[in-house]
Amino acid sequence: MTAAPTTWQAALGTALVAGGVQIAVWVPDKRLAPIVAAIEAAGLPVRTLTREEECIGYAAGYRAAGGTPLVLMQCSGLGNALNAIGSLAVPYGLGFPLVISMRGTLGERNPSQMPLGRATTGLLALLGIESFPLRRPDDVAAVVRGALAVADGARTIAPIILDAALEL
Amino acid sequence: MDATAIVRALLAAEPDALAVASLGTATSALRAASDDGPHLYMGGAMGSALAVALGVAEARPERRVLALLGDGEVLMGAGSLWSLAGIRPPNLLVVILCDGHYSITGGQPLGAPGRFAEVAAALGLGTAVVSDLGEIAPSLAALPRPALVEVHYAPGEWPGPSPFIDPPVVRSRFEQAAAEGSS
Repeated sequence: MTAAPTTWQAALGTALVAGGVQIAVWVPDKRLAPIVAAIEAAGLPVRTLTREEECIGYAAGYRAAGGTPLVLMQCSGLGNALNAIGSLAVPYGLGFPLVISMRGTLGERNPSQMPLGRATTGLLALLGIESFPLRRPDDVAAVVRGALAVADGARTIAPIILDAALEL
Repeated sequence: MDATAIVRALLAAEPDALAVASLGTATSALRAASDDGPHLYMGGAMGSALAVALGVAEARPERRVLALLGDGEVLMGAGSLWSLAGIRPPNLLVVILCDGHYSITGGQPLGAPGRFAEVAAALGLGTAVVSDLGEIAPSLAALPRPALVEVHYAPGEWPGPSPFIDPPVVRSRFEQAAAEGSS
């Protein structure tokens, strides 16, 4: 039996686990699902929560209690999460990696997805958070390593933005 | 019975718990009752405090964790009651201070019934509804965890210390408290 080739999604999940992530919290999304599956396959707990700001709150508590959480959300959910990011994660210095799948960008057919897709990195920047785009599968290891360093050491949310080019 | 007296009774029953207090009355009452103990006081992010407590409880499963929430807070983040029921951390106690008002914004009444224990019971959680200080300790002792307790009291004076805490200081003290006893 030949092993299936490793996808970039699996590589991303595996790299995050290898980098020290201990738990993943998310609101389900088709593009994030293979990443979450890789994290589960590595034996980590995954929590499906009801809303994206809840994921930020959960991760902030997990980090404050000494753990290393990961949040995954679709960019439209970033709108739901802004107050928890701005009033909790940022002022308290509670950093963690945040994988964001993109809608409302290259290839989008749904008009309702466009505004938040266009605003994603700008909204984060207004809160003082730099985004780290992942554009090529070959960059997975470096982007994960860098994002984990920022989250842990610099104590800020480290968004890994899954560029549309990864799937086109 | 006021919010600070309620929190004193809770801390007496759960002396070693890591506590998360939501924005407003819960934070001020916990500051007053614990003599500014090293708890995770929230200065904002209304509606997120139960989610924060879930994260603390899962990161420190060997510790008892107390979520101290206002009633308006819980309405704003009600989905977390479902997450609580889905995750069921066996070390988490959720206490809701029910005075029927948004105290932090000037005392406006809630626009919905604060029937949290009934919702939690429907979700399969252990629950209690308390309106007397003397009932708090026996109620807590009898409840399997995770549990949700509604404590009803009349709105009154602000519990004292400011709810506007210094986040980095709060975080640093809480991180140290949470690290105690861990390897």
